[in-house]
Amino acid sequence: MIKEKYINRVKEISLNVVQTEVESVRKKDILKTGLRVYDKGYIGIAGGLGRVDEEELERRAIDNLSLKVPYPYNPSKELKKEVDYREDVLSDEDFVNEIDELLNILKDEFPDFTFSNKINITEVETRLVNSMGLDLGYKDRLVLGQLIIKEKASANVFDALALYIERQYRRELFLNIIRETLEAYRNPVKLPKEGKLPVIFMNYDITPVSKLIDELNGYKVGTGASLFKDFMGKMKFNENFTFYQSAEREDLLDAQFFDAEGVVNEGFKYALIENGRIVSPYTDKKTAHKFNLPLTGSASGEYDKVPSLSPRNYKIEASDKTLKELLNGQLAVAVVIASGGDFTADGVFGTPVQLAFLSDGERLIGRLPELKLSGELYSMFGEDFIGKSKDKSFLGQNALAINLDVKYL
Amino acid sequence: MYTFPKNLYTDIRIEDVNYTEITYRNGELAENLRRNYMGAFIRIFDGNRWYYSSTTDIDNIQKEIDKLALMAKDNEEIMEHPIVKKFEVNRGEFLQFEGKGILKVDHKEKLALLNSYLPILESKEEVKMWRAVYLDKKITKEFYSSKGADLKFDYQTCSLAFRYSLNVDGKTLDSRYDKTDIYFDRLKGLENELEKRLNNDIEYVRHAKPVKPGKYTVIFAPVVAGVFAHESFGHKSEADFMIGDQTMMEEWPIGKRVGADTLSIVDTGQILGSGFVPFDDEGTKAKKTYLIKNGILTGRLHSATTAAALNEELTGNARALNFEYEPIVRMTTTYIEAGDKTKEELISEVKEGILVLDYNHGSGMSTFTIAPRISYMIRDGKIAEPVNISVISGNVMETLYEIDGISKEIEIISSSLGGCGKMEQFPLPIGNGGPYIRVKNVTVQ
Repeated sequence: MIKEKYINRVKEISLNVVQTEVESVRKKDILKTGLRVYDKGYIGIAGGLGRVDEEELERRAIDNLSLKVPYPYNPSKELKKEVDYREDVLSDEDFVNEIDELLNILKDEFPDFTFSNKINITEVETRLVNSMGLDLGYKDRLVLGQLIIKEKASANVFDALALYIERQYRRELFLNIIRETLEAYRNPVKLPKEGKLPVIFMNYDITPVSKLIDELNGYKVGTGASLFKDFMGKMKFNENFTFYQSAEREDLLDAQFFDAEGVVNEGFKYALIENGRIVSPYTDKKTAHKFNLPLTGSASGEYDKVPSLSPRNYKIEASDKTLKELLNGQLAVAVVIASGGDFTADGVFGTPVQLAFLSDGERLIGRLPELKLSGELYSMFGEDFIGKSKDKSFLGQNALAINLDVKYL
Repeated sequence: MYTFPKNLYTDIRIEDVNYTEITYRNGELAENLRRNYMGAFIRIFDGNRWYYSSTTDIDNIQKEIDKLALMAKDNEEIMEHPIVKKFEVNRGEFLQFEGKGILKVDHKEKLALLNSYLPILESKEEVKMWRAVYLDKKITKEFYSSKGADLKFDYQTCSLAFRYSLNVDGKTLDSRYDKTDIYFDRLKGLENELEKRLNNDIEYVRHAKPVKPGKYTVIFAPVVAGVFAHESFGHKSEADFMIGDQTMMEEWPIGKRVGADTLSIVDTGQILGSGFVPFDDEGTKAKKTYLIKNGILTGRLHSATTAAALNEELTGNARALNFEYEPIVRMTTTYIEAGDKTKEELISEVKEGILVLDYNHGSGMSTFTIAPRISYMIRDGKIAEPVNISVISGNVMETLYEIDGISKEIEIISSSLGGCGKMEQFPLPIGNGGPYIRVKNVTVQ
């Protein structure tokens, strides 16, 4: 019988901001432990929160083998690796004082706006250890600010957003994101024209790639339910388009280098589409085995659940050009809030855009009216694909640029 | 039971959660989970700032209270603070599910129930990938406050959720059939409904063509009308968006006309289902709140903080996702009230329009969006060919006036795998629903 322990710990201080004041301080320290046993092709799992009696967990996990959940795959083994991406941040007390000061600056600089929502420091630790010599550990700590911005004179629930994701807190960086957003917000502009235009999305916005993620599901490909079922190895997209699963340090969110089955990819990345050619769907051990597909390390699962196939962090490979160079003199529609859109089953894309700016590739120039975007999956990442910028010139983030049909809503 | 710090307001919410999840994927058992845990959320208020702690160390809640109190400042007038004065003080045990509780059902019976539906999925060659899930959750909550609240209550839901990917002649569709109820026995005997849904979906994907984009009269089925009410107006009724905001208060005065005079939207935590919230996470008893009555803005949803700030009454809408989060203003079960037409009359009066029967997701700010999954054209008053639509949208405040027909039938739907998202807290179980509603001038892409 093989024994395996999965530990996840989250420590967090979270400040809730209401009307540009810190309204509350929340502290959290949650430890979740899962004990897995593998025997005769079955898996038994038991989990607990907080301090747990591991012997009791193990007894329960062994009992749960009787639930007969099949797992006829070899647990990962003989690999020790520890990654600690944490950087120094403020103490809890200093953090509260600093955010009070930041909000005072915002009140002075932007008296016609209010700021709300969360600014957190979150520390995560995940460990996967088993009796086959596997010992993987990951520690990270992020400062995540998601401020909702409302113009005082507006009757909207909110009017703009400012997103800050870094391992360190840098007041000026956060302020500059807000300054650039609101300076552009105050300057209403029109589209250069309605019709096909370069549109840029932030690095963390999965709106344009959501259909790729759905259709690259290994189980969906293997069972023939995917649009891509007959396209493995085929050239279907732009030769400059590479799409990969990533757990690189620079990813910040989802940078855990091993999956729930302890699979570690070389360089912490795995290309699913390489230079326009579909290489592989994403898979866990079951999917890779069942459909004879490459194993991409794409299993997730809560502390007490069976690891199963689910999408992880996917990104487009950056080009060697800045956003300014990619746009080549054209102005772009920079999408900040595009909520509610989707792809149809056959790949037609449509979304309203609640907040967009005009960008010259270096700065936001002005705020556009509400828009609607449309495109088609193979074109978006084929002939209409412009590229992903190497620089972070879209409010501190890399930008994905695609030609889409743009109209006023 | 607990010693509350002097000159501060304190409350404690303890959650005892029992959870079952059984999943089959393409015929193979993939999950068979029984989970039980306890967690607590502590709040302390000094009149200026709230201090929260989330803990799994139930035996040391007193220590956690004392530690948290050190961060707050003494306030001798705290009991006179408008927020603290707003809190209801409810006491007693309200355990409704001890006898008929989901915990009384043997795990093997749950497994057998789910198994009984699998042959239907396996019988369709067009179903390429599927997932069948049984879920149940029973939560017993205790709530204590330094104002004297002393509550113990429970609620439960159980669900069947079927997710499937179809491939019909090279055309694909991801679809679903869900059923959530309070009682286990009501999940039995759904074979015909599941089979009918599958057959309809297969025919839909076989014949669906891209829609011609434009503005149409659109009829929403009850499940879609529910998400429309939730996204288009429900979120706007959450009063935390209004605190300290003079423009919003002037824009949204009670008594203002906001929609067609046939339109009434209600939120209530009193309906048994996934939006059943007998007491909210501040100990407030469930109420029925009209958000819109006959087209007039009639109420909004509150926590004690927002009710105090707007000088309005509590509504029982302060909800937390779980013990790791503070309560914020959330919906419970939100629905549009019935009208006076039949579904058939609504359809027969449309020259060219669209019937949306089901959806993938929705959103709502000044513009609402719904991503339909199953839609049909209406031509000359009759349901015609199926169409693929990526998104329908409209300006919320204009669209509420564009409702020109509401059916007599009403259906309340409980969420199963998903729920409502607001900021970091997702997915919160809610209910929604309504009748068939007909809306003019909706943008279709």
